[in-house]
Amino acid sequence: MAGEVIVITSGKGGVGKTTTTANIGTALAMMGKRVCLIDADIGLRNLDVVMGLENRIVYDIVDVVEGSCRLEQALIRDKRHNNLFLLPAAQTRDKSAVTPYQMKELTEALKKEMDYVLVDSPAGIEQGFKNSIAGADRAIIVTTPEVSAVRDADRIIGLLETEGLKDPEVIINRLRPEMVNKGDMMDIDDMIEILAIKLLGVVPEDENIVISTNKGEPIVLKNDNSRAGTAYHNIARRITGEEIPLISLDKDTFLSKLKRIVGLS
Amino acid sequence: MEAISFRVTSKGVSLIFDSEKEFIEIKEALIKHTAEASNFFSGVDLYVNPNGITLSAVEMKELINILYRYENIGSIYFVSEDSRNRNKYLDTILINQTIRSGQRIKYPANVVIIGDINPGAEVIAGGDIIVLGKLRGVVHAGAAGKSDSQIIALKLQPTQLRIGHIISRSPDELKDLEPTVPERAYVKDGMIIVEALKMK
Repeated sequence: MAGEVIVITSGKGGVGKTTTTANIGTALAMMGKRVCLIDADIGLRNLDVVMGLENRIVYDIVDVVEGSCRLEQALIRDKRHNNLFLLPAAQTRDKSAVTPYQMKELTEALKKEMDYVLVDSPAGIEQGFKNSIAGADRAIIVTTPEVSAVRDADRIIGLLETEGLKDPEVIINRLRPEMVNKGDMMDIDDMIEILAIKLLGVVPEDENIVISTNKGEPIVLKNDNSRAGTAYHNIARRITGEEIPLISLDKDTFLSKLKRIVGLS
Repeated sequence: MEAISFRVTSKGVSLIFDSEKEFIEIKEALIKHTAEASNFFSGVDLYVNPNGITLSAVEMKELINILYRYENIGSIYFVSEDSRNRNKYLDTILINQTIRSGQRIKYPANVVIIGDINPGAEVIAGGDIIVLGKLRGVVHAGAAGKSDSQIIALKLQPTQLRIGHIISRSPDELKDLEPTVPERAYVKDGMIIVEALKMK
């Protein structure tokens, strides 16, 4: 079995890389795929907290590359899906504890056992970023509808191309349709025009994300058809090669429903 | 009081003679111990502290021969310090600050922290860990395998507790349950037990 290693990166911090990794990973696992999430943010680990697996960590990625434990010993099995694993980052070390070469070896070993290996990249373009893309076959860039985030995303696309990672895809996160409609926020077309890469999905701003993140339960687990949850499920299916149209982001108001029913919209 | 006593230190094990006893009593106690616990100090360095007793060269030679009955013992040293008053205190470090995420305290003996241990912080001690504050990170007492170590905190809400070779994690539910009294964790029958701290 030869799986795919996908790095999730952004350049800018705080755009939702970790939340995206947790949700896409969980959604892929729910589709029956064998998935391993790697937290490459050594020294500022978060993925374990968002996944609700913090209290299970005994060994981490640095222990693996330093040979203090075997890879299988450091893998944490998800508490909800037995085909989903997490390789946590070390919290008391820094990015220089792992080299790109070691990272490549690690992902090579993991992808033999997995369908997908998702690498949650740290913010920035320094060593942590270089580590996270070292073994990647594919890249997903997360950005938000802000000029600064798009600028950083553009920079990252350039760096990825230099490293030979062609055709990255973008996820636009935390979009607020009502602001876009009023012209107060960059819209999807503006961003795609600048970045000129394939759009993998759009995730609307959703306060349920905050709740689920704090609880350590990715939003895709909930069966409530939240807009963000649906968006992540669709992104996961697109990653596996399915063709899924983008969901309509306009909130269904009574008026818009009525208009649709009478054929005005 | 026994003619000889042992104490685990940061460097290895101290063997301390009772200065009130005669050489012959010490020798017999040592012969008895090497017979009963011959594999006790495998790979461990032994620091012999005559504790003020004057030994002749012949007596010392006798002792050395007996000490090598411990299988695979590491190096044997003779030290000349009066350990009766000092070691007890030297074996504990006092840390007067909150340990934050990403910080790691590692000490070969006991650790006392006046402050909190936040989630993401790690404290590893060769002996006991006492926290005069909230313990919410990961702590490992008796890290070299000393499973009779204990962990005490005013508010014990750890991410993970480790004592000796035993690990236990916080339950996934009941996360917000705040302890109302100081608690103590220790190992009993291969499991980590947490109970309200009782003063003996």
